[in-house]
Amino acid sequence: MSTLHVVSHSPFADSRLDSCLRVCGSADAILLCGDGAYGLHNPALPTKGVKVFVLAEELQARNLPLPDWADSVDYPGFVQLSIDYDKVNSWL
Amino acid sequence: MAKSLLVISRQAPWSGPSAREALDIVLAGGAFDLPIGLLFLDDGVFQLAPQQDAKAVQQKDLSANLQALGLFGIDDVFACRHSLAERGLASPASAQTLDSADICKLIDRYDQVMTL
Repeated sequence: MSTLHVVSHSPFADSRLDSCLRVCGSADAILLCGDGAYGLHNPALPTKGVKVFVLAEELQARNLPLPDWADSVDYPGFVQLSIDYDKVNSWL
Repeated sequence: MAKSLLVISRQAPWSGPSAREALDIVLAGGAFDLPIGLLFLDDGVFQLAPQQDAKAVQQKDLSANLQALGLFGIDDVFACRHSLAERGLASPASAQTLDSADICKLIDRYDQVMTL
């Protein structure tokens, strides 16, 4: 079963993203929202072979460039992802 | 068949309400015979350290809740080996230690996952 991991905290203040990457499966994906979008600056993220999505408005708000290894989604896209994956794990 | 739920507890015991809430969710699920598992990850493994004294920081003891897991039929209690080693903690008697690959499979196995 595939899992969509939702991470909303900056990886530079907190260990959520690191732990998420450690336990992430190859069929899983990570959605970055809120300060989680700063996770795009985490060099470990593109090396794990896990799909990475980020909310477009969080990028825009923070003026973060979208790397070629990540995809941006809007809120309807967020909803669609939560349907496409078997379950959602929000790292609260 | 009820959906299975894995609760991932990753907060230290006295850092806020999350540790207690995670345990309460698991115990409530157990009382209703739901297929439920509990994983201690990151600072959550500090909940398993022995001989803690909650009274010293005016908190309620969590160890009674931890001991109640078995009574409520919660046998699937796990702790992350990496998190334990990072914090210099020994493997706890009350939880099965899992490495990262096993945790990945564990999350896969459950219908729903809740991380607190």
